[in-house]
Amino acid sequence: MPSSISSSSPGRYWAWAGVVSALLTMALCGSIESYWRSRGYEPGVIDSKLLWAQQRDRVYSSGSRSPLVLLGASRFQFGIDMRTLKDALPRSRPVMLAINGHYPLAALRDLAEDKKFNGIVLCDIDARGFNATYRDMQQAYVDYYHQRWTPSWSVHRRALTWWQSTAVIANPDFGLLPTVLRWWQGAAGPWKTHVHFYADRSGDADFRKVDTAQSTKGFADEFKRLLTEDPPPPPDQWLVGLADVSKWVEQIQARGGEVIFYDTPTSGKLREYANSGYPKSLYWDRFAATIHAPALSYTEVPALESAPLADGSHLDFRDKPDYTRALVNALLERGWLTR
Amino acid sequence: MQFDSITFLLFFLLVLAGYNVLRDWGTRKWFLLVASYLFYSAWNPPFLLLLLGSTTLDWLIARRIDQAEDPTRRKAWVVATLLINLGVLGYFKYSHFVLDNFASALASVGIAYVPPAFDIILPIGISFYTFHSLSYCIDIYRRRFKPTASWRDYALYVGFFPQLVAGPITRFSQMREQIETPRATTVAGLGMGCALLILGLFEKIVLADSVFAPIANAFFDAPGSGDSASAWVGVFAFSGQIFCDFAGYSSCALGSAMALGFVLPINFRNPYASVGFTDFWRRWHISLSSWLRDYLYVSLGGNRGGEWRTLRNLMLTMLIGGLWHGAAWTFVIWGALHGSYLTLERIVRAHVWPVHWNNRALRFVYATITLFGVCIAWSWFRAANVSQGWRIMLELFDLRSAVAGMGQLGPSQIIVLASFLLLVMVHAIFRNSGPIAWFSRLSAPLLGLLLGLMLAMIVLSPGDNHAFIYFQF
Repeated sequence: MPSSISSSSPGRYWAWAGVVSALLTMALCGSIESYWRSRGYEPGVIDSKLLWAQQRDRVYSSGSRSPLVLLGASRFQFGIDMRTLKDALPRSRPVMLAINGHYPLAALRDLAEDKKFNGIVLCDIDARGFNATYRDMQQAYVDYYHQRWTPSWSVHRRALTWWQSTAVIANPDFGLLPTVLRWWQGAAGPWKTHVHFYADRSGDADFRKVDTAQSTKGFADEFKRLLTEDPPPPPDQWLVGLADVSKWVEQIQARGGEVIFYDTPTSGKLREYANSGYPKSLYWDRFAATIHAPALSYTEVPALESAPLADGSHLDFRDKPDYTRALVNALLERGWLTR
Repeated sequence: MQFDSITFLLFFLLVLAGYNVLRDWGTRKWFLLVASYLFYSAWNPPFLLLLLGSTTLDWLIARRIDQAEDPTRRKAWVVATLLINLGVLGYFKYSHFVLDNFASALASVGIAYVPPAFDIILPIGISFYTFHSLSYCIDIYRRRFKPTASWRDYALYVGFFPQLVAGPITRFSQMREQIETPRATTVAGLGMGCALLILGLFEKIVLADSVFAPIANAFFDAPGSGDSASAWVGVFAFSGQIFCDFAGYSSCALGSAMALGFVLPINFRNPYASVGFTDFWRRWHISLSSWLRDYLYVSLGGNRGGEWRTLRNLMLTMLIGGLWHGAAWTFVIWGALHGSYLTLERIVRAHVWPVHWNNRALRFVYATITLFGVCIAWSWFRAANVSQGWRIMLELFDLRSAVAGMGQLGPSQIIVLASFLLLVMVHAIFRNSGPIAWFSRLSAPLLGLLLGLMLAMIVLSPGDNHAFIYFQF
């Protein structure tokens, strides 16, 4: 028996050590948590490949609700109100697979190749998103799901989601090392994000916390730069490149599923640049006429075209329910979805 | 499932509770075995069949070896188990490597050969459980002990979850009594087990993943983009990372086993304070180096055939040891470097320097040389390929830029350097001791403070869960 332990009973020894360590841990973590909260920071779920994989598990038909899979990028992830969607479509089970900053074709291909999937895909994508350059943007998420995702990680992610929605210190930005490095470099505290994620991966963007004029200009300038760096391919070449997309749609339809493509709204300069780079009549309209699947452009629905986009691309979270209702109504009116 | 996942903590609490609720020792062993298989299945359930098949086959073959009186038959059975085990390991681990090198060799004489595209996934822990099985069969062949009549006991020896996927590689002789004799969780065992778990998670989450990995990854993902000083920091970062990652795993393994009443052998004993390379291999991944010594080096003839045969056997053992870590030439070079270090050290010790060996200053100098030699070898271990390895070597030894680069190190690099230095100092101070002894010397409040500090740092170091490096071997 080790010297310290043998001098008293092991029970008392380890009870003391356990109590001291638990108290110290709680005191240190509690103090640091209080410090960050006093500086106005709040806990929040952090989106990740694990969280995506957890939603990916839900795309299969089970129970009374059939899956409605939302693919796309930030405009869907921050623009669709999941509760409104559930209420408006009581027989559907919405699954958010859109990924901020990533065009969705890799995820669409994955669902097409998944023989067990037979649900409806609502795919947020614009003409630029069909470019071959962006085809594999979500592939890392797909690979993670197929190669590393296990029930064990699912349990882990559930617990982590709870912890992240409970404590600020669960966010790596507030970790020990980043904090030390910021202090060393005299840098400001972590950026106060205007985005709040939920466990279902949908997010709220609160534009009251953002300089929208700056953000709108930044978005438009960045889009213009990308158009210069990666100029649009000629329309015919672009359309030929979509043969695979048609094939994926057919694969899903053959199993009883459906894919609905939706070109989400933009406004201001961003819309101007998007239209000049990818004129609707030369790109989207030709795609919609060719693909054997429903395709909706925001320009076809006044309520969507006039959606109040805070930065020319995204909705403030308070506008999400109205926008979601308008989108659902447009799809119901066309008979592409049923209640 | 990984030790650094919340799932493992929940799993471990359930196993601990279930294990202690059950009364009968036989039932408890079944419970542990099922729990171990559940733990293993968390990665890739179909590979459980491979583990079950391998376990059952080796258990049967070991009995055959024992029953056979005729030496030729005994040898035939042991050769069979070697061929089966190494064949399976070779198929999963070395198929790509062999075929790619075969294609390269043919291409060098003008024959174009495209190897078939295998989509082989390496079953996690296969290198470890294969070595468990082989040691069992070879020991029975050598008549070290009688085989167990119980499949369950043997399966538990191979599959016991704390050591299943990344060691320590235990011997049946170390586990037999523990498996056959009833045991239970004790307060001291649970306390020390939890302390070791906290230490292991601290090493893995705080040191390996948070402090060392970002700098090591940044350097090895793009070597050649900085100066020599940055290169050395990158190499030290990986040296710190691989120790904290693997020793962290081993501490967690020892701790979770101890909480259940089992004692696993220590796998690391302050290796960065080694004086000499022989000493290093007595301290680093001890269960592997002793396995290689007992079953490979000795089988090759050991030191029985004179000096040159000894050196040849040493070199071969290290080359194969390198290849065991991974199917790539970089691992072979890593093994060759360590083989060269060991042979050179043996020659120097035997002929040049025997008298002054215990001089303290020389020991310090030699410990420093050992540390640098080990770290340089780690560069090859981590390099993506041989050409990257060479680029790293050139960068490391561009010493003119090292001096200039020292002043340009960023805060993260300085933290890595300080942490690595601290790690080496801790190894030097506690050179001949281990965490169980350190913890045991502390009073309860002091141990509580230390564990509380580590626990708080674990909680305050959230991030992605990185797989333990040794899982890939």
